[in-house]
Amino acid sequence: MTQPLSEKDVRAIAQYVRIGLPEEEIGQLTIDLNNIIESLEPITAYNLNGVEPTYHPIDGLSNVMREDTEGTSFTQEEALANAAKHQDGSFVVPAILGGGDAS
Amino acid sequence: MTNFAAWSVRAIQDGLAAKDFSAKEIAASSLENIAQTDKEIHAFLEVSENLAYEQAEKIDAAISEGKFAECGFLAGVPLAFKDNMNQVGTKTTCSSKMLANYQSAYSATCVEKALGAGAIPLGKLNMDEFAFGSSTETSFFGPTKNPWDTSRVPGGSSGGSAAAVASAQACVTLGSDTGGSIRQPASFCGVVGLKPSYGVVSRYGVVGFGSSLDQVGPLTKTVEDAALALNAISGFDARDCMSKDIQTDFTKNLDAGVSGMKIGIVPAFMEAPGLEREMKAKVLEAASNLEKLGATLVEIDLPHAQAAMSAYYVLGPCEAFSNLARFDAIRYGYCDPNHGDLGSQYEASRGKGFGMETCRRIMLGSYLLSAGVYDTYYYPAQQVRTLITSDYAQAFEKVSCILAPVTPTTAFRFGAISDPMQMYLSDMFTVSVNIAGNGALSLPVGLGADSNLPTGVQLISAQFKDENMLQVAAALESCYDVLRIAPPFAEGKVGA
Repeated sequence: MTQPLSEKDVRAIAQYVRIGLPEEEIGQLTIDLNNIIESLEPITAYNLNGVEPTYHPIDGLSNVMREDTEGTSFTQEEALANAAKHQDGSFVVPAILGGGDAS
Repeated sequence: MTNFAAWSVRAIQDGLAAKDFSAKEIAASSLENIAQTDKEIHAFLEVSENLAYEQAEKIDAAISEGKFAECGFLAGVPLAFKDNMNQVGTKTTCSSKMLANYQSAYSATCVEKALGAGAIPLGKLNMDEFAFGSSTETSFFGPTKNPWDTSRVPGGSSGGSAAAVASAQACVTLGSDTGGSIRQPASFCGVVGLKPSYGVVSRYGVVGFGSSLDQVGPLTKTVEDAALALNAISGFDARDCMSKDIQTDFTKNLDAGVSGMKIGIVPAFMEAPGLEREMKAKVLEAASNLEKLGATLVEIDLPHAQAAMSAYYVLGPCEAFSNLARFDAIRYGYCDPNHGDLGSQYEASRGKGFGMETCRRIMLGSYLLSAGVYDTYYYPAQQVRTLITSDYAQAFEKVSCILAPVTPTTAFRFGAISDPMQMYLSDMFTVSVNIAGNGALSLPVGLGADSNLPTGVQLISAQFKDENMLQVAAALESCYDVLRIAPPFAEGKVGA
C-alpha cells in the first residue's frame, strides 16, 4: 500500500525523532523497517467502511476530572535531582539559537 | 537456611501468624538466596536490602503487637518489581542506558499498594529495554537466564519477573504486559502470569510503553497467590485516568469449580501456523481436563483475531513513539556530554541512550503516524480494534472463559531469533487480549513432550470478569502436579 522506505527516508525519520544513528546501521534498519511494514499489510485488507475507531479499551469513558484542590508536588530540588546539569534552580541546556557557547 | 521465597503466600502468612519465624528471617533468607543464585540467573538489576529489612521490621512490630491480621494481603511476602516501576529508594532503569542512573522520584501506585499490603521489597527486576522484546536480550545490562535451562531465554519483556519466581528468588513479582509481556515469560519459566483487564491496576508510575495497552500484574507459583496479589495491587487510582473502580475479591471463586461452566475454544488458534505440536497437545489436554471437571467446551470464532498482530504492531509502536518523546536528556536520562547546540545533544543522547529495538519502534511509530501513512495503517488499526473487541464481546455472551495457547513454542536459546519479525510472532496468541482490554493469564501445565521445557496455557476472561478466569485456572491447576520452581532451585516447598 505504501512505497518501501529508502535509506534516505530512514535517515529523515531518524532526524525527525532526534535519534543520531551511525551510518553503518542505516542499511539493516531500512531492511528491518520495510519487513515490519510489509507484515502490517493485513490491516489494509479489511472492509472497514463505517467502522468506528477505538482509541482505548474502556468503553464509554469521557473526560476524567478531579476536584480542583491543592496537592503536593515535587520540590525544586527533587525535580532537578536527575538532571545532567542544573544551575540556580534551572535545567541547563546548550544554546538553542545557534552560535552560542555551550557552557 | 529455609528459603521462604519458595513458599506460597498463605504458607508464609500462616507461619508468621503462628510466630514460627519472623519477617526479618524471611527477608534475610530471601536476600541470601538471591546473592547465591543471581550470578547464574541475573534476574535482579538492584537488590534493595535496606528497604527489605525496614519493611520486615514493621511487620515484626505489628506481629508483636498482635496486629498481624491488619497487615494486608501480602504481609511478609518477599516480592520484587519489574524495573519499569518507580519505587522511591531505588533506580528505575527500564533496562536502558538512557535511565541507567535514574533515581525514582516517586513510587508507582502498584508499588505503594504492594508495600501497603505488607510485601517485603527485594529489588528491581531485569526486562527487555523499555519492555520492547520477548526474551530480555535487549536489556542494556545483559539478559536474564531461564532457570530451567540457562542456555535459554526466560521470555520477555518481564523475563526477570518470571525467572525470579521460577528460581525461588521471590514469592511474588510484578510485571507489565502490553502484548504478552507477563504471560509469555510465565509460560517459558513455568509460573503463573496474570494480566488483569485494562484498568484494574493503576499504571501510574509505571514507565509507559503503549498507554492504551499496558497493564500491571503478578507472577506467582500458584493461582491463589496470583489472586491474592491482585487483591493487593488493584483498585481505583485518581492518578490513572483509565483506572476502574472495581471492588472484586479475586479469590472469591477459587474453590467454585467449573461444573456447568462454558469454556470457549478457538479452532483457528489451534490450527495457527507456527504453533508447535507439543504446545497444541497441552491445550487439548487442558480442554479434556476441563471437560472431566464438568465444564462444557464451546467452539467460538474470533474472525478478526488474525489481524491482531498487525494492529498491535501499528498501535504499540505509535504509542511508544509518543511516550518515548519525553526522553530529552535534559530533565533526566543519559546526556551525551560536550555538545554546543541542543539539536546535536538530543540526537547523540537518544542515539547512544536507546538500544536498537527501541530505536526501531520509535522510528516505526513516527513513520506510521506521518501524514498519508496514518490513514493507511493507524486509523484502520483503530477500526480493527473495534472489530476485535466486538468479537470478544460476542464470544463472552456464549462462554465464561476462553482456553487458548499462550505461546507458539517453549523457551528458545539465546541468539536463536535475530529477525525482529520472528521475535514478534512470539506474541501471536496474546496481543489480541491487550487490544480488547480483556484479562488473561498463563497457567503452567507441565513440561512439553518434545522439548522437556515448561509450557503454559492461556485463559482469557471478559473485561472486568477476571475472577472467571481465576476460577477456571484454580480448577485446572488441581489436575496437574507440576513443579513451579526449576529443579536446580527447588529445595523449598510450595504448599507447605
